[in-house]
Amino acid sequence: MSITASEQAIAAMDNITMLDLSLAPLLRLAEEGNPVFNAGSAGWLREVRIQGAYRVSHRAFPTRKDEDWRVTDVSVLRKTHFRQAAQTSIQSHELDVFALEETAASRIVFVNGIYAPEFSDTSALPKGLYVGNLAGLSAECAADLVNYLSQQSRNLDVFASLNDAGVRDVAVIWADKNVVVDQPIHILFIGKPEDQPVAMQSRCVAIAESGSSLNLVEYYGAATQGCSDHDQQLYFNNTVTEVWVKANAQINHVRIQREGGSGIQIGNTAIAQAQDSRYHLTEVNMGAQLSRHTLTLNQNGAQTETILKGLTMVGGEQTSDTHTAVNLQHPHGTVDQLHKCIVDGSARSIFNGKVDVPQNAQMTNAAQLNRNLLLSPKARVDTKPELQITADNVKCTHGATVSQLEDDEIFYLRSRGLNEYDARHLLIDAFAAEILNTIAIPSLNTGLVNCVACRTID
Amino acid sequence: MSATVKTLVNQPYKYGFVTDIETDSIPRGLSEDVVRLISAKKNEPEFMLEFRLKAYRHWLKMTEPEWAHVNYPAIDYQNIVYYSAPTKETKKVESLDDIDPALLETFEKLGIPLSEQKRLSNVAVDAIFDSVSIATTFKKDLAKHGVIFCSISEALQDHPELIQKYLGTVVPTADNFFAALNAAVFSDGSFVFIPKGVKCPMELSTYFRINNGDTGQFERTLIVAEEGASVSYLEGCTAPMFDTNQLHAAVVELVALDNADIKYSTVQNWFAGDENGKGGIYNFVTKRGLCKGVNSKISWTQVETGSAITWKYPSCVLLGDNSVGEFYSIALTNNMQQADTGTKMIHIGKNTRSTIISKGISAGKSKNSYRGLVKMNPKADGARNYSQCDSMLLGDTAEANTFPYIQVDNQNAKVEHEASTAKIGEEQLFYFAQRGISEEDAISMLVSGFCKDVLSELPMEFAAEADKLLSLKLEGAVG
Repeated sequence: MSITASEQAIAAMDNITMLDLSLAPLLRLAEEGNPVFNAGSAGWLREVRIQGAYRVSHRAFPTRKDEDWRVTDVSVLRKTHFRQAAQTSIQSHELDVFALEETAASRIVFVNGIYAPEFSDTSALPKGLYVGNLAGLSAECAADLVNYLSQQSRNLDVFASLNDAGVRDVAVIWADKNVVVDQPIHILFIGKPEDQPVAMQSRCVAIAESGSSLNLVEYYGAATQGCSDHDQQLYFNNTVTEVWVKANAQINHVRIQREGGSGIQIGNTAIAQAQDSRYHLTEVNMGAQLSRHTLTLNQNGAQTETILKGLTMVGGEQTSDTHTAVNLQHPHGTVDQLHKCIVDGSARSIFNGKVDVPQNAQMTNAAQLNRNLLLSPKARVDTKPELQITADNVKCTHGATVSQLEDDEIFYLRSRGLNEYDARHLLIDAFAAEILNTIAIPSLNTGLVNCVACRTID
Repeated sequence: MSATVKTLVNQPYKYGFVTDIETDSIPRGLSEDVVRLISAKKNEPEFMLEFRLKAYRHWLKMTEPEWAHVNYPAIDYQNIVYYSAPTKETKKVESLDDIDPALLETFEKLGIPLSEQKRLSNVAVDAIFDSVSIATTFKKDLAKHGVIFCSISEALQDHPELIQKYLGTVVPTADNFFAALNAAVFSDGSFVFIPKGVKCPMELSTYFRINNGDTGQFERTLIVAEEGASVSYLEGCTAPMFDTNQLHAAVVELVALDNADIKYSTVQNWFAGDENGKGGIYNFVTKRGLCKGVNSKISWTQVETGSAITWKYPSCVLLGDNSVGEFYSIALTNNMQQADTGTKMIHIGKNTRSTIISKGISAGKSKNSYRGLVKMNPKADGARNYSQCDSMLLGDTAEANTFPYIQVDNQNAKVEHEASTAKIGEEQLFYFAQRGISEEDAISMLVSGFCKDVLSELPMEFAAEADKLLSLKLEGAVG
């Protein structure tokens, strides 16, 4: 297989302008002297790319006529001429905003989707655990990764296939059997906007072998002066994270999306859970002018436990979309999902939560709740909690609420001597705290709480 | 499953007979000529033909919707008879004596006696057989109060100005694929007009009967309640058993002006097909009410037990300030039935309120989906919605789905949605058994308890009927 094969696949993509413009250079750059290719992965990685490109060429670009994209308009991606983001470096002070004191020696950094060893330090991590990029993986492990990379993403949407087609580097977190790591592992993806629109692809694979335990912090930010909310040139980050939680294993996963104020992130997270495994996710979406996170979770064994907590906080002209799909396939599964949105300015927040309980998922206990807080007259919320149930011996509930701050609650606080401003913020902070308090890393928790406070100042 | 349970499950559909009657049908197929022919047969005014042709031309450009959670083979729209009427009824009948006795007998068998002596004293009935209205009872009594209750064809002759003013204002001709088809070819339906300040003195009711095996039924109902008027309306439907699927694409439009109140109840019992899913009616219906005036109220209550496939979303457009929309629904599916039903509440005016209570019961290998939209427009200050959709699963091969869409564009609006899924527990049945109550009785009691919130919304005479219908359809589904 050669570059020409991928280019032939691309030639069939006349209907997808964005891909026409960005995919060809993306693929070519990825194959020229890239560190990703080592003895173990060279052959199959090329195959992953070509198959990704093939899928992209056979699928239409999503429009608002597609049910899954009905309320999220991504036509800007078609209209913009994106260039492939260059391999570049950043100033160390640009990293400071995102650094966590707890993970100073358990951190890997990717700039524009490519490994930046100068900022990465994994010295605090124990043996039996690999944290790094694909090139650093032993030949044997790299060859074994063929059983994981793209095995989930190939069934996802066209953006995941686009990531497959253009994968340049991969963050790999791989815990051996029975390795328990309490130290949080920080996977930091930094985008560096240029003076014209650029596209980048971030890729992550996390595998917890049976009996192991991991704490992951997956963090997306942009290299700018100070707070990442500032405007820069448009950029597009297309992310895919694939997670495997093997039998009896556990992953605590925190996903923070703080892309730059003019960034666009289309993210896919896919999780495969084996029997008796536990997966806890806390996701926070704050950045980007337009963001979409699609989470697909498959419970592939019995007695699996899934906890999903999410907080979306948007203002100004932002749009943030979260689509989650939990597929239960086996008995005794539990799902506990709570997604909260705080919407200010003329922002728009979208939530679509699907729980599928087929016939053999008996004794399932699934609860899903979406709560929305509207802070301004122009803010907008679309929510759709979906349940599809065939098994009869199950307990499934879902709910959705949309409201503003209660006058009664503000009145109560004012009667206790708080001024209106403090009363409002106390209530907003408490609304967010229910999600943020599930993050067990103090400096990250504090940082995010401050971020919520900073964003709701009138 | 015990023997008694089995006999109960296999209760024959008792409305499945065919009336042998001479009909005047037009050939199969749909074209502009067919639309003109239907209009000519009904001697319609010019504006009606325009309305139909506009709809037909739109329909040609539209595609069948595919988003509903149902599966069915493609419908051949050229293989349907779009107009069929009993021969003798093509002329306007003056009294019941002129009606073919075979028809009167049919309705009597269905439990809808039309003759003076037997009919219910407080319910006026419009009976529709295939494409035409047969008779409307109590017309004169209603006329005394100024209430117009007649078939839509009659209304087109006697009150064309009212039809022209309101028809298509709530469901425009190009609203959706099936509504456009209906607008092009609709044959008959009921028309109700309640003038200013009148409380309709009795329940109004329309009974729809499909008889011809190849006919599609396309009826159109229009109810207008002027300022301060109020009316309660009920529709019922049955069809004979055929091996083929028949299309039923109806449109119902309700208009409520200031302070008016319309209550619309449906007990739908079209033939559902046999236990293998052969035959049955495709019930693709567009129902929408417009709360045009301030303080107006529209309430939908539906009991959906029949049809092979149901695709139906009775909706309320809450335009007037302080208007109220309600939706109470029981959808029961058994065997191979598929239902994708729910409601749309569009809040436009200030302080508008809506309530949605939906109860879905799925048994056999059926699919039962709730699909609802609650939309709060930017100007709907102080709007409130409460939705509750509960599902009950009987057996582990049935499917219960919920797809609630919530769109909020207003900070002052408040929306709450809740859903739950449950089954009839072993313990519950055991408790009943202890008290000497058989399994079948226990299930029907539990189901009617589950549906109580909705059944209590139905007019009295029909609540009892609907309750009976539910237990008849369900008994033995758990075994």
